[in-house]
Order: sequence, then structure tokens, then C-alpha cells
Amino acid sequence: MDFSYTEAQESFRHELRDWLEENLPDGWLENPEIPSDREERNAFFKEWQQTLAADNWAGIHWPEAYGGRGASLIEQTIYREEMARVNAPPQINLIGVNLIGPTLIEVGTEEQKERFVPNILSAEEIWCQGYSEPESGSDVASLTTKAEKDGDEWVINGQKIWTSYAHIADWCFLVARTDSSGTKHEGLTAFLVDMDQDGISTEPIHQANDDRTFNQVYFDDAVTTDDLVVGEVDEGWDVVMTLSAFEHGMTSIYSIEQEYLDLLEYCQEETRGGTPLIEDDNVRRQLADLDARIQAAKMTHYRNVSTQMETGTPGPEASMDLVVSDELRKDLLNFAVDIKGPAAALWDNEHEAVDETSGYIRSYGSWIAAGTGDIQRNIIGEQVLGLPKDIKSKTSHRGE
Amino acid sequence: MDARLTDEQQRVQETARDFIESEGGIELARRQLEGENVVDDLWNELADLDYTAITVPLEYGGFGEGMVYLTALLEVTGRYALPGPLPETAAIAVPLLTELGTEDQQSTYLPAIADGDCRMSVAVYDDETESLPHAIQMRAEPTGSDSESAFRLDGTKTLVPYGDDVDAVILAARTRNSQGYDGISLFVVDTDQDGVETQRLDSLDWTRPMYELTVDDLEVGDKALLGPVHAGGSALQTAVDRFTVAGTAMLTGAADRAVDLSVEHGTEREQYGHPVGRFQAVKHRIADMWIDMQSARSLVYYAAWALDNDEPDATRAAAATKVYAADRLHRVFSDDIWNHGGMGFTWDHDGHIYLKQAKSWRNFLGSPESNRERLISARLATESAKSPSGES
Repeated sequence: MDFSYTEAQESFRHELRDWLEENLPDGWLENPEIPSDREERNAFFKEWQQTLAADNWAGIHWPEAYGGRGASLIEQTIYREEMARVNAPPQINLIGVNLIGPTLIEVGTEEQKERFVPNILSAEEIWCQGYSEPESGSDVASLTTKAEKDGDEWVINGQKIWTSYAHIADWCFLVARTDSSGTKHEGLTAFLVDMDQDGISTEPIHQANDDRTFNQVYFDDAVTTDDLVVGEVDEGWDVVMTLSAFEHGMTSIYSIEQEYLDLLEYCQEETRGGTPLIEDDNVRRQLADLDARIQAAKMTHYRNVSTQMETGTPGPEASMDLVVSDELRKDLLNFAVDIKGPAAALWDNEHEAVDETSGYIRSYGSWIAAGTGDIQRNIIGEQVLGLPKDIKSKTSHRGE
Repeated sequence: MDARLTDEQQRVQETARDFIESEGGIELARRQLEGENVVDDLWNELADLDYTAITVPLEYGGFGEGMVYLTALLEVTGRYALPGPLPETAAIAVPLLTELGTEDQQSTYLPAIADGDCRMSVAVYDDETESLPHAIQMRAEPTGSDSESAFRLDGTKTLVPYGDDVDAVILAARTRNSQGYDGISLFVVDTDQDGVETQRLDSLDWTRPMYELTVDDLEVGDKALLGPVHAGGSALQTAVDRFTVAGTAMLTGAADRAVDLSVEHGTEREQYGHPVGRFQAVKHRIADMWIDMQSARSLVYYAAWALDNDEPDATRAAAATKVYAADRLHRVFSDDIWNHGGMGFTWDHDGHIYLKQAKSWRNFLGSPESNRERLISARLATESAKSPSGES
């Protein structure tokens, strides 16, 4: 057992740290400001990703041949730590970088790789992911959006929902039903679909945090072509599984830790009744509890990375991360709002560095996204602990 | 970076598990709580397996290993609530003797501990309602010509685990008028001498008997003084940190088995025509038990490694294990009883053994509250050291 980093890993950390100091947006370290206007904000994120990509820092886990660094899992861990430390802006094409790109590199055709992969890291083409439907949430395999073959084209009809970035996406990684005769996991096919066509319209969803980053996407005789099928026709579930493997091992624990450290600083600076918040027993107690939980989640992530370094697949600890991180973030921000005092009734306090109010409301979104805690607990209960499967249908899907 | 047990450490766990299973598994703890004393025989076998020698330095016939190795073993002993003062001996006494002992003290105790001929415990509490360090009140009066050559101990220590089953205790007393951790000196006191008496207490957890230990006007020489006079407080705190991590390791092992018991019950017990583990109310509760157990394990791994390597955040890491485990693992044992319904409340179900152990460990040698304070103070100290602008 060894929790220390090698010299090479430390020098990787310093290379990144130096690069960030040089290349973060002007004044970012002193005062990280993101444009409030939606379009300006997207342009800002896009420019940031292009800055990263120019020096191979956008997708370090990608192979070098595709503009990555072939980074090991430990280097990816260091990368997350360092990005969180400076509270770096997010990349605009996150879904492309983390999910679609690696999936295409693994199972795409040569033509698909050549055509699409280079434009992902550079954010020339933004991607969204069309999985969930109004009637297919947790039970994603029951989806009914249909793709029918017409010559060498496919005609798509149906509706997707909760599609992040669809309103700005150039391409969609879509899973649709191509055969309704078998079980629900059979007869699915993965497609790459051009979002710029008359058959597709998007409608933003007004979220609880007053933002609009999720969308509904309507497919009305939308079209894609044979060469844009990923994997085999009717074997889309395999592609879904390939993609979801890239979701594992992603963790938000480092940004949560950074938010905690920011909060700690806030508690040292702010006073209530002339006394620093940090001297309040209740504040200290709650901070200590959060601290212990964050350390537990971080060390669990280290254990998981260590397992995955050896076996190539994440250990069962990976399925914990979503449950633990999402609840931690929610509790952390809940506490951050509470200690504002009566000002908790205000949406934002301009003089405060910690973005607690909007973050708190937003945390309910990440709490639900990528499968609720109930789904994660089912996975742990059934796949890790071997408890009997839920009472659910495996064979039917809503056909016609 | 490899945050897992090594193959060798895993083998230690497998061997320990096979051995304890072959001896009856948790039946050993049951025999102990029914009034039999299984510690003597068991200790000889633990010594044969070299478990008593793990933390003893190489030059005294041990393996010179630290907390990582020890906690790997304690996870397994905790799984079976194995009776015996192994954490007291291996996590408290041995490191204190190794760090502070004179050559004479080391050669007297360490080889004997390694060989299984000496078991040790810890005698700190003078008042069972007070926490550390206030609970340390006994005076050790200097009686010699200088202030460090001889002392007179007089008083009654309480909450001494396995007090009648051990050959010596590490005893904390005040050598001058003082409060807090200042002015505390540590002594190694043999229990088989005149002037030392033990009296069994009725403890919540019968697998780990607690004793009063009375020292009646006992004169001890400088052979008993362990470490610097008046300044044993910080060594005691570090020793308590080790015990905290050792205790969390044992409870993690117990929690692992509680998860297994709940899974087994959820798979086999049927109601309304289905195994009860099919219902999400039960399934999700067990998933949460598993998450909490794994989280505690992660904290133990890191804290053990940090203590072994004198990492700057070792104190914080050790405190975090209790902050987390005192509530979360306690809930694991509580939920296991819940999952088992009526059977959960019976003497036959092992749940009560674990629950009582967790409850009596909770405030022993450091409450969750004091560990929260220890954790946050350590965190604030490291953060202010990191940033020159930050203030403490």
C-alpha cells in the first residue's frame, strides 16, 4: 500500500500547474468570472477548450495519435485535482471528450474516426447524447424512438429528453429502435446524427435553477446514413455498454473538495456577531463531518483507480462514487447556504466568493442526472452484493 | 500510488480468516460472552501465527511492521469480534515502548510480546464519566532524591480493557499539577505485583471485559517511567490515534460481516412470495451499509499508511476514521438488526454483539466529538501553513 506519487507523476503535476498559470483566462486565479450571458458563456467555454486542446490538455486520456497524452489513470486523477484546485472553467464539449470520442475510437469505423474524432477535442463540433425519452428514464432500454431503413438512409422519428447541450450541439450520438420484435435490449442501434437539419428541433427545459442546459429534442423524419451507424445494426446495446464504461471512473470528488476548502476559507473570514464563523462549535462540527466524508470518497476513488490500473476495469467501489459524491455536494452546499444566515433568503450575495445559492439548487440536478441514487443502489445491491433482482420486465417495450 | 492491500497483506487476511473459522469463528466471542475465558488459549495460537509480533521491531524478534499490516489483520479479527487485547498490545503498547522505551524496557517487554508471553492493556481513566485528557487525574508523586528516579502511584483506574488478562498496563498519571495533556507521564506497570489489584466491571460488551485497576501506594522506579517525565501527553495522543484507527479497522471487519449477514437474510428470507432483499427498501438499505463499510475501510487504509509514514495529515486522517465510523458503522450494525426483523433482536443473531462493541468503542479513548475537533484543528493548521495569506 502506497499513497504517494512517483517523481514522474509529480513532474506531470507541475507541468500542468505551470501550464495553467500561463494559460488560464486573464485574472482567473484572482477573480474567476464566467460571462452571465448564455451565448457569451458558451463562447468562453469553447475558447477555453481550444486553449487546452492546442497543448494536448483537453483530453489527456485519449491516445496521443488523436491529440491526447495517453495519460494513465493516476495522471487523470492528478489532472482532476489540479483542475479543481484552480477551479478551471469547464470544457464546452465535455460529452464529446469524455464519452463520444473514446467510444468512436474504440468501436467506430476508420471513416468515422477520421471524420469526427479530430473535431471533438478542438470543440469544432459539439456533441450531445440522445438516450433518455419521456417514457424511458431509468429504464433506458425501453426507448421507442424509431429509425427505419430507406435505401442507404435511416429515417428517425421520436423524442428525446434531458439532452444536455442539444441546443448548441452539431452532432447527436443517438440510440434508436430498429427492431421491435425481440426483447427490449435487442433491436437497438447507435447512430451519429447531424443536428443541423429540418427534421430535428430542440426545446430547452427551464430548470429549477433558472438555467436551460437540458433540452427536449424532437425527431420528425430526421435522416442519417448507413455509414453513420456505430457498431452493428440492432446491436446498439453493446455500444451503449461500451460508452457507459467510460462514465465509470469519472468523479467530481476533487471539485467537491475544492468547494469545501473555499468554504473553509469563507468560515475563517466571515464573522457573525463579531466572532469568526470558524469559532462556532456547530460550524466546526459540520465542517469536520464533511471533511471526513470527502476524505473517505477520495480514498475510495484512489482504491478504485488502483484496482482499475491493474485489471483494466473499475472495481465495485466505482458504483459508490455517484451516490456518495452527489449526496456530499448537496449537503455541502446546503450547509453553505445555511451559514449565510438570514441572507440565505437572497439568491446571491455579491460580496461572497462561494457560489452557494445557485450551486445548491443546481446540485439537485446532478443528484438526479446519470441515474438517481436509487438506480445506483440497485446496481450495488444486485451486481455487487448479489441480492435478488427487482421485479421488472425484461422482455417488453412499448412497441407501436 | 497503489491504495490496495499488497498480495502479502491479503494472504495474511486469508490465513487469519481460515484460522479463526477453524476455531469456530464468532463462536469464540460467544463463548467469551457466556462467561468462559478464551483469551489465554487463543493468545497462544495468535502468537504461533506471529500475529503478536507484527508491530514489534526486527531486533526484538518481531516483523517491524506498522499500522497498515496490523489493520489488515484487525479487520479480520473484528469480523469475528475476536476476544483479546490485540489492539491494546500491538497498536498502543508496542509502538510506545518502541518509541519511548529504554533499552532495558524494550528488551524486557518487546521480545516477550512478540513470543506471546506478554499481553498489555491501557489504564488511563480515573473517572469513567470524563473524557481525555481530563479523565487522567491520578498523581504519580516523585519520591526519590531527584524528580525522575522513583514515583509513588496511588489510586484506581477504570475502564481497563482485559485488565485481569494482561501482564502489564501502560498507565497515564500526572507528575505535577497540570491540566490537559501537559504534565502527564506514562508508566509501564506490571499487573502481577503486590499493590496492584483488578476488579471486573459489568461491561456493555461482554466479549471485551472491562476492569478497574487499583494501585495501592505502589512505589515504582525509573524502570517503570516510559518516556520523558511530565511530557508523555503527545505520545499518548499519537497512541490514541493508532488505537482509533485499529478500532475502526476492527469495526470495518465487523461491518463487512454485518453486510454479509443482511445479504444472506435478504436472499433466503421470503415474505409476500419474494425474498425480502428483492424489495428496494431492504436492498437499498443494504447497499448503503456496504457503501458506509467501504468508506470506513478507505479511511482506515489511508490513516494507517499516513501514521506509518509520518505524513503531515496523519492526525487528521486518524481522527476522520472515528468521526466517520462512530456514526456510520454504528448505523450499519443497527440496520442489520432492522433487516433481520424479530430475529435481529434475539441473542442468537450476531447483530447485538457488533452493536454493543460499536457502542462501547464510540466514546472510549476519544469521542466522535473530540475527534471532530482534532480533525478540524489539524485541517485549519495545514491550510494556513499552505497559503501565506491564510490566517489560522
